[in-house]
Amino acid sequence: MRALDWVVLLASLISIVAYGLYRSRGSNTVDRYLLAGKTMPWYAMALSIMATQASAITFISTTGQSYVDGMRFVQAYFGLPLAMIVICATVVPVFYRARVYTAYEYLENRFDAKTRALASVIFLCQRGLSAGLTIYAPAIVLSVILGWPERATTMLMGATVITYTVIGGIKAVTWSDVQQMGVIFLGLWIALITVIVLLPHSVSFGDAVYLAGAAGRLNAVTTNFDWNDRFNIWSGLIGSTFLFLSYFGCDQSQVQRYLTGRSIAESRLSLLFNAVAKIPMQFFVLFIGAMVFVFYVFVEPPVLFQHAELARITQASEYHGVETRYHEAFERRRDAALALAQAHRAGDGAAHEHSLADYRSAQQSLDAARANAARLVEENHGEKGFSDTNYIFLSFVTRYLPVGIVGLVIAVIMAATMSASSGEINSLATVTVVDIYRRHFRRGASDHHYVTASRWATLFWGTYAVAFAGWGKKLGSLIVAVNVVGSLFYGSLLGCFVVAFAFRRVGGTAVFLGMLAGEAAIFWTFLRGNISYLWYNVIGCVVVVAVSLALTWVAPGVFAKPSSLPTQ
Amino acid sequence: MPELREVPDSPPPFLGSWRRVYVAVLIYLAGVILAAYFFARAYR
Repeated sequence: MRALDWVVLLASLISIVAYGLYRSRGSNTVDRYLLAGKTMPWYAMALSIMATQASAITFISTTGQSYVDGMRFVQAYFGLPLAMIVICATVVPVFYRARVYTAYEYLENRFDAKTRALASVIFLCQRGLSAGLTIYAPAIVLSVILGWPERATTMLMGATVITYTVIGGIKAVTWSDVQQMGVIFLGLWIALITVIVLLPHSVSFGDAVYLAGAAGRLNAVTTNFDWNDRFNIWSGLIGSTFLFLSYFGCDQSQVQRYLTGRSIAESRLSLLFNAVAKIPMQFFVLFIGAMVFVFYVFVEPPVLFQHAELARITQASEYHGVETRYHEAFERRRDAALALAQAHRAGDGAAHEHSLADYRSAQQSLDAARANAARLVEENHGEKGFSDTNYIFLSFVTRYLPVGIVGLVIAVIMAATMSASSGEINSLATVTVVDIYRRHFRRGASDHHYVTASRWATLFWGTYAVAFAGWGKKLGSLIVAVNVVGSLFYGSLLGCFVVAFAFRRVGGTAVFLGMLAGEAAIFWTFLRGNISYLWYNVIGCVVVVAVSLALTWVAPGVFAKPSSLPTQ
Repeated sequence: MPELREVPDSPPPFLGSWRRVYVAVLIYLAGVILAAYFFARAYR
């Protein structure tokens, strides 16, 4: 980074944080600190909801995912519009009428205190782990840029996020998200335009798209059904619908955002905006990763994008052979790509077939050499699971983007993460204070007391997230890791809310036992390790509903309890 | 303990009813999936 990059970075961050804090002044009551006094317009909530997902992980990990695996990850978002429609029609009006601070507060009204407590604890476990991953992502940025240890950068980012969240509350989080989304869209377009401009003059944009497709990087839809395949249209439409139903219907980090709205209509509009905009946005980010792949077809990429690990294995006796094979494969792939693009433009069928076979063969050799280098890293560390997916986009940004733009992209990544983390920590503090502390330990205290308790809870969860962040580097692709962690807990939460809304006869004890059974089923499936994580949400939800209904049917005198709340 | 209350459920600012908005989103989703499918087929 040069001086101009630092100026752009610092100016962007300071202005975003200052703007958020400026808009949050007066957040001195529980209602204002946790729900912004229910004054937020739909577009602010919509962009805030989007910004939570479009964190640094979106930039760092999704682009890398596309580089190594193509665009099929976009299918994981096909269920989002379906989930949003269901939530708008059912969950939103019920939460509004119940006048709740948290989604779990509603469960006590519908079931009992122990069900609310269990749901709260499940959320705290899940979101606490995810918050750690969210903070870990920008720590990678600083490690790559500044050469600092990841632990130190994690703590630096964590301290900044904690300070910002403790002071600002939900209003600061939401308004800074709005500003950040503008910067994020700007950064995305600049990144795409830059990578296209940097392609060789003989390679047009059309050629680049064709070469990405020929290497399997534009596989946006795959229709084969396979339980082990993480991303196909079936896991996307079914599994991810359950995931997003859980995320937007039962996860306080999202529920809290649309509960800040002025009305039911404003909250619905904010969710439907995401239903429409999220898939194209994800497609766009993945497409940038595919274009970065094409860029590296013509400019030799490092064998591994994690430079520190690469430096360590260069001393290994096997490495020289790996590097030689990698270099040869790169040159073969580059030459085949140029010939393929030319044959494609000329419509020369025979030359096209020959070049295509060469191109794909060279790509396989390149992938094999990279896999060998990754194996050397694993042998060096004595443990499996090495992945440099999260370093690919950063490596490209810092090496090839022009001065000033590097600072802007880094600012986008850091600001987005600060916002996403602060939203998560804010919601964790809300559940801790509203569902645990105020409900079970200190009822009837003053407003000032609960605001102070919320600030302390924010400090606690921020520290916890920083401590957990060290685990992030062992989880491979961060974007997948976040979803995997979420899926371990979301299914049973979703099942609980499905029972609450759809089966009025089921009582608290039945659904409580159902949730325990649901979690047991999810972890049993996870430990067996042969089913895609998107299906955990389906399994957990189905088990909770089935066990709750079975118990109510077998012993209605013990487990049945008519609800006092109307369902939609 | 949260209390129940009446909250006005106003119509959307376009298409007249929420049901029509939901149908429009479903049609949009089908279009997006089809577009992505043909895009992937065209460049595989």
